[in-house]
Amino acid sequence: MDIQLKRGLLDVCVLAAIKNEDSYGYKIIKDLKPVTDLSESTLYTILKRLESAGMLTVRSAEHDGRLRKYYRITERGIERIEEFKVEWKEVISIYQFVMMEDKHE
Amino acid sequence: MNKRQFLSRLGRALKGLPEADIKERVAFYAEMIDDRVEEGMSEEEAVLAIGSVDEIREQIVSEIPLQRLVRERVKPKRGLGAWRVAALIAGFPLWFSLLAAAFAVLLSLYVTLWALIVALWAVEAAMCVCAACGVIASAVYFIEGEALPALMMLGAAFVLSGLAIFLFYGCVAATKGGARLAGRLGYGVKSMFIKKEN
Repeated sequence: MDIQLKRGLLDVCVLAAIKNEDSYGYKIIKDLKPVTDLSESTLYTILKRLESAGMLTVRSAEHDGRLRKYYRITERGIERIEEFKVEWKEVISIYQFVMMEDKHE
Repeated sequence: MNKRQFLSRLGRALKGLPEADIKERVAFYAEMIDDRVEEGMSEEEAVLAIGSVDEIREQIVSEIPLQRLVRERVKPKRGLGAWRVAALIAGFPLWFSLLAAAFAVLLSLYVTLWALIVALWAVEAAMCVCAACGVIASAVYFIEGEALPALMMLGAAFVLSGLAIFLFYGCVAATKGGARLAGRLGYGVKSMFIKKEN
């Protein structure tokens, strides 16, 4: 898949994973496992990018005697998910058109 | 490899990055290992699941912009002493020309690479144009009733178009190869700023 496209998709994937409740690195990887195999380094880069874009915030909290970083989605992050939904509605109708024309052949 | 060994190797492999970045990355991987251990994995298994230090290093190097690596390398570790400033000034003609030469060499490598590819495409374009001209010339001769030169022109045009088709695949392959080579060159330059794991 096109790298630029995949990067954008993974960003939204990670946002979706923290949308309903704050999450931490390993949990995000586990939650996304059924959809895509995300490596630690890739996740790190995505989280950094989303943080500097103001789509999530980070806080450290104690867990079991050690610190763990928790990621929380911001308003901007939620907006991004909404934008994604609209954009992809169009992509899906294009896909359906392509498939339909393909069958008619 | 246990967690401590893995993290210290990772820290060493990333030397050259800003100090704060290294700390943050190492903490990130430490958390990943701890979370896996908490789930019942052994430390060794958890480290294995994360992948090799070399892979991580390669991914980080390919993502980070070159300017940042250079800035980090140029930044003095402790303030510059008076004698170091003096040495820098006195040595300016030497180190500056060496640095400029190094950059010039890299730049010329890069330019040569693309000049070769541009030249190949120019040959390709010339062949296409000549083939087209041959067909036109042949038509003109034919209209004027000169069958022999018309046939010769047509033949030449066919030979040229054949060569052009042949060369087209060569041009595409060379361009792809050139792009890959340019990428490796960029990665190589960046790698010089990060210490290799030994």
